[in-house]
Amino acid sequence: MSAKKPLRVGQLIEKNIKWLFPLPTGVFIFLMMIFPVLYTFYVSLTDWDMISGGLISFIGLDNYINLLKDPRFFNAVKLTLYFTVLAVGVEVILGVFIALVLNRDFRGKNIVKLFLLLPMVATPVAIGLAWTLFYEPTIGLGNYGLKLLGLPPSQWLGSKAMVIPALALVDIWEWTPMITLIVLAGLASLPQESFEAAFVDGASRFQIIRYVTLPLLRPTILIALILRCIDALKTFDIIYVMTTGGPGFASETLNIYAYNLSFNYFRFGAASAALVALFTLVLACNLIVLWMRKTYEM
Amino acid sequence: MKEVASREMWRLKTESRIKWKEIGWYLMVIIITIPFIFPLIWILTAAFKTQAQIIASPPLWIFKPTLNNFKSVFMEQNFARFLWNSSVVAVASTVLSLLLGLPAAYSISRYNQRALGVFILVARLMPGISFLIPWYILFSKIRLVDTFTALIASHMLVGLPLIVWIMLNHFDGIPRELEESARVDGCSIQNAFFRIVLPISGPGIITATTLSFLFSWNNFMFSLVLSTNRTKTLPIAIYNFVSYAEVSWGNVMAAAVVIITPAIILTMIFQRYVIKGLTMGAVKG
Amino acid sequence: MVTRKHSTQIIMITVLLVVVMSISMLTVGAARRRVTIRFVAANHPFTDVIKPLIPEFEKETGIRVDVENYEENQLTQKLTVEFTSGASTVDVFMTRPLQEGRLFYRNKWYHNLNQYLSAPGWDWADYPKSTVEAVTLNEDIYAIPIVTEWKTLFYRKDLFAKAGLKVPTTFEELEEAARRLHDPANDMYGIVLRGQRGAAVTQFSSFLYSHGGDFIKDGKCVIDSPEAVEAFKYYGRLLHDYGPPGVTNMSWPQAQALFASGKVAMWADASVLIAGIIDAEKSVVADQVGVAIFPAGPAGAKPFQVVPWSVAIAAQSKQKEAALEFLKWATSKTMAKTAQLGGLTMARNSVWNDPEIAKHIYPGLAESARLTGPIAVPYDRPLMTAVTEARDAIGEVIVTAIESGGKADLASLAKSAAAKVDVLLARAGEGPSK
Repeated sequence: MSAKKPLRVGQLIEKNIKWLFPLPTGVFIFLMMIFPVLYTFYVSLTDWDMISGGLISFIGLDNYINLLKDPRFFNAVKLTLYFTVLAVGVEVILGVFIALVLNRDFRGKNIVKLFLLLPMVATPVAIGLAWTLFYEPTIGLGNYGLKLLGLPPSQWLGSKAMVIPALALVDIWEWTPMITLIVLAGLASLPQESFEAAFVDGASRFQIIRYVTLPLLRPTILIALILRCIDALKTFDIIYVMTTGGPGFASETLNIYAYNLSFNYFRFGAASAALVALFTLVLACNLIVLWMRKTYEM
Repeated sequence: MKEVASREMWRLKTESRIKWKEIGWYLMVIIITIPFIFPLIWILTAAFKTQAQIIASPPLWIFKPTLNNFKSVFMEQNFARFLWNSSVVAVASTVLSLLLGLPAAYSISRYNQRALGVFILVARLMPGISFLIPWYILFSKIRLVDTFTALIASHMLVGLPLIVWIMLNHFDGIPRELEESARVDGCSIQNAFFRIVLPISGPGIITATTLSFLFSWNNFMFSLVLSTNRTKTLPIAIYNFVSYAEVSWGNVMAAAVVIITPAIILTMIFQRYVIKGLTMGAVKG
Repeated sequence: MVTRKHSTQIIMITVLLVVVMSISMLTVGAARRRVTIRFVAANHPFTDVIKPLIPEFEKETGIRVDVENYEENQLTQKLTVEFTSGASTVDVFMTRPLQEGRLFYRNKWYHNLNQYLSAPGWDWADYPKSTVEAVTLNEDIYAIPIVTEWKTLFYRKDLFAKAGLKVPTTFEELEEAARRLHDPANDMYGIVLRGQRGAAVTQFSSFLYSHGGDFIKDGKCVIDSPEAVEAFKYYGRLLHDYGPPGVTNMSWPQAQALFASGKVAMWADASVLIAGIIDAEKSVVADQVGVAIFPAGPAGAKPFQVVPWSVAIAAQSKQKEAALEFLKWATSKTMAKTAQLGGLTMARNSVWNDPEIAKHIYPGLAESARLTGPIAVPYDRPLMTAVTEARDAIGEVIVTAIESGGKADLASLAKSAAAKVDVLLARAGEGPSK
């Protein structure tokens, strides 16, 4: 009896540990996330805006229907996908290439890795402001560099055709290293036997990369690609700082469109509908990740 | 004799070929690396230039450095205060996320509560702006708008999922036998977690902590709406130099240096862990 | 041993948390003790002028003032989010009558100031009629004007002298001067104007008026009138043919940087922006800046002159008396004088009639103010509630005009922009009265 008593609280905790341990996190996430999600969904079904006086009434799916009628929405979806495909595509190709180059032991490898890390950890707002200046067509470094290389100058952020590639370049600068580091880590974990076998068979370096390394890396690359896609779809800081969606609407991605709707036009109902659309897009991406994890037993 | 000589020559020739190849390879590494650090170096130099020198074209590479930009960053704009604010928010949100996230990750790992894991991951997927107005209303109702608490809570929504997922992977990698032998000795589950599992989880915790700190440090969107004068963090404060009548590029660059430097120092110290954390989602182990 | 190490960690973490929490509580607690008002300001030279003087006000009145300042768009966003949630703690704030005045007024976020205007010493009569109108809706005065600004033409004296050009007084001369000074091979461009979607609209406005066009007439958007289309064409051609590259992503900061680095010969924008180009620290052409009155178009010279910024009291403020004290102090005659001497162009008449102050104004600027006043149009954007969205719609036409050099089918683009604006007008109940 006397031995049991002090144990009681401990036992109670132990019995319910399944609940107690994740409970605070669950409650926190519920308050901070589920409430906003439900709220966003609710608002997307109302006509709440600040323009017509602020009286809120329920209008069902009207916001979604209007969204489908708005050419700016389709433009935004198109640009979001364009930006994501372009940025992530180049990042993967370039990232894998750099990883293959760096995949050996050498003096200063850690320094090179550190240099590659810096763009990722540097504050995006500060970076965006600096790149805005680089891209200035007359006094910026971008065109100065092109001139040195003997290439014609570009309008960068000032041209509807160039603005997405120019923004993607910043994203590429920031995130290619992540792909490189992921692939480097993946390369380190590959089984040595396959390489030795190929080497014994007299395969060339290129052949080994093409037929052994890359296929083995495929799951790693795929996951890295999708992780990047999720973030690229949501890119906000850089576009907000550098163009706020311009010129015209040539860089207005979904996130910026929703932002404009809510914080510049104060049409909260319509904005919420756009956010639900963006969320669906990102969620679809994530479902693919989960499915891949399963498929590749990761 | 002759054979030996030719062999010797062949060896020398191959060696020099390897040497050239080696040099070429190093050159390539340098060419690859430069674009990634060049913009940061440019920001650093610009922080020591006057406005006219920054917008000079062609760019000035040699100039007389001035400390005026840093002077106005710290004297006129009180960046020391913003540095303090950013630190408070980043440290508190990280520590709290650890307190909440470590047991949660452990439980998800040991009791296979994967649904909860996915549920937490969704937080990472939500577009951030959809939180802003609901949060503001929520925090107003409980009178927390003017405080660090609101800001810290919002940053935790970034930090917590990160920590849970990093630690989940980490705990999955720790063999259960360790705890089981302790349990045989009469140790409770919570004690086993605190005394056995956590002490050997140092690397995982460092990874999670560093990343959570960095993400909070760099966060712009949440702080934009939830911070006020008393709690303004650095990424918002940099906009103090974008005023109605002029942009002081020198000051912006100096402020950028002030913001980025702590992140870089942290990265240098914990390089291994940062890499691990950032690459973890894709590579097991 | 493990346990001890661990409990030390826990203790450290707890101590840290307690410290952090109590700091945040303390800051809040300390602030609540005395009467404290929260003043939300813009990053504006006016804020720079009054901020260091606030301790004087605090000493005089015993009212504590918490100032916070934000970039202009962030300011509007912050205020809107706070006021929308219905739990804001803002007492006094800076506000742009033309940009957000109608929106805030309609949502009843401004405290009506009519009853206080006769307060002794405040001298409401000192404000020109046009500036009073700028902050009045339905006869309610909802804010106190701070500064004025007007469309000006900045030009490079040295380049004009070298080319033997005189300062343009008509649109033809403006285009001719731009053509003569345009030399892209040597990185010199004839003229820069804003080309960024929404931002361009306010600077386009003077070109629109001077062509005989307008934004809205009797509740209908008339941005598709033949005069307006001519204005789009002119603006587009000017910037396409003689403007710098990348102009469609340029708002004032980019344009200012270009002028300050000596890459453009002319720049027409708001007068307040002169600060960044006549300071030798910031501009390589600081000693060569000329200031001219906006040239005349087919319908004469019609530059805008507006009240870009004013100060208001928040309707939900619980400390209106203290807020009013601060408002009176911040907009007093003395303060206006201090600010004018600090290089601002204030709304009060008295600061312009004082010869003592006049000596300190940049040569040419006072002259352009004097000449612009009588011919000015008192708004630089459509007068409506959904002004940001309307600016974006109109701005799209400007962007296309610039890209095509005025050659695209601007008439039909303007028509669809006008249709969009009409929808916005109708939604806010500002459409044509039947």
